[in-house]
Amino acid sequence: MSPRIRWSGAALGLLGIATTLVLHWMVFFWVPTERTMGVVQRIFYIHVPAAWVAFMAFGVVAICSGVYLWLKDERLDMAAVAAAEGGILYTAIVLLTGPFWGRVAWGTWWSWEPRLTLTLLLFFIYIGYFLVRSSTENPERGKRFAAVVGIVGALDIPLIHLSVTWFRSLHPAPVVMRPDGPSLHPDMLATLFVGLGASTLVFFSFFLFRYGLERMNRALAHREIAAQGAPQPEGAAS
Amino acid sequence: MEYLRQVGALIWKDVVVEFRTRERVAAMGGFTVLVGILFNYAIDPTVVEPQGIAAGLIWMTIIFGGMLGLGRTFSLEEEEGAFQGILLSPIPRDAIYLGKVAGNFIILTVVTGLVFGVFALFFGLTFGRHPGALAGVVLLGILGFVAIGTLFSAISSRTSMGDTLLPILVFPLMIPVIIYGATATATLFAGRPVAEVDGNIRMLGAFAAVALFAGAGLFRFVVEE
Repeated sequence: MSPRIRWSGAALGLLGIATTLVLHWMVFFWVPTERTMGVVQRIFYIHVPAAWVAFMAFGVVAICSGVYLWLKDERLDMAAVAAAEGGILYTAIVLLTGPFWGRVAWGTWWSWEPRLTLTLLLFFIYIGYFLVRSSTENPERGKRFAAVVGIVGALDIPLIHLSVTWFRSLHPAPVVMRPDGPSLHPDMLATLFVGLGASTLVFFSFFLFRYGLERMNRALAHREIAAQGAPQPEGAAS
Repeated sequence: MEYLRQVGALIWKDVVVEFRTRERVAAMGGFTVLVGILFNYAIDPTVVEPQGIAAGLIWMTIIFGGMLGLGRTFSLEEEEGAFQGILLSPIPRDAIYLGKVAGNFIILTVVTGLVFGVFALFFGLTFGRHPGALAGVVLLGILGFVAIGTLFSAISSRTSMGDTLLPILVFPLMIPVIIYGATATATLFAGRPVAEVDGNIRMLGAFAAVALFAGAGLFRFVVEE
């Protein structure tokens, strides 16, 4: 792994861990308790940042995939893989923390609520992305197929979002991105933004390390192919 | 003009092949009749009112039956190496895609007609008072489904997982079609006015347009060697 990737990954990771520790202090000791949902609402500061990162990661996958198909630059494909792996991890965090919150706040583990459904579908689109990549014998083909899945998935996500929102809504309405400004208590908003910073920093640290790892893997694979195909070194026959 | 002629030639080829072999229509048609029989016993019609859940059942049957045929979109040509011939011919890649979509669309339209016939016969359904709007909803819905399905069928047929991969890729993306299609169908079955499904028809049209543009643009990256 090149030192630049390693050091920037480590720096982002340490910063991310530090921010996560601050976040946990804020969540447990500092932020006020929500009036109707009570203590369980504090999952919000983990749950929502994870969801933002999961969708942002998919944006990175889609953009890298699109430009990869255009320029055929290997590095873009590696970046897409790294972002997709980070994305599936954060999607899993959202899907694991959601039911606990839902169980207490709504009285049910699962509901067919739009954003919940959208996140679950995002998880399955990511799964398809990795299945396509792993089930092709020709790796170049796998990269192209995965890029197509990533792009079509990203184009479909707004439509899925529209349709599931139209279908039914029970989830708390958006509290930050509203035309008349956030409705959240300022302390809660501050905690949310610290959470967002923490998860984004940790994500990019994962991303850089995974990218470096992918690069080493491919360099190794190229070297093995070269070693098999190379002529015998001089003097080997004698 | 030349472009339309090329697309037309591909459609004609697929329809003629299908008409002579009747492979996919027979498989999908048999599937839908059998699903109708299975539904009859899975959902006791004396307990559940079939008219109330008909829209959902019909859409699920179309999607599942459609997957059966879509998975084989490229198999005939793969087996004989004939797809290389199509790729070598001076036809743009997006024309090949659109021709394949149109061929699948025609076949699935025939099967969908059969689904409606079978369900009407078996469960004594009535389809409401607006056959034109109903046809619009169903045709736009299956156009979007076929546009996505054809692109991913080209992908899955070139992987080691083959057709088993297709539902995993296609189903998550089909949510808008199912939601807008099935709710509009249920609304029309209930005899409600067409104005109530205007929004659905627009969304189904938007989905089909996005799917067709994406498929036409991306198909060449799927088939390139």
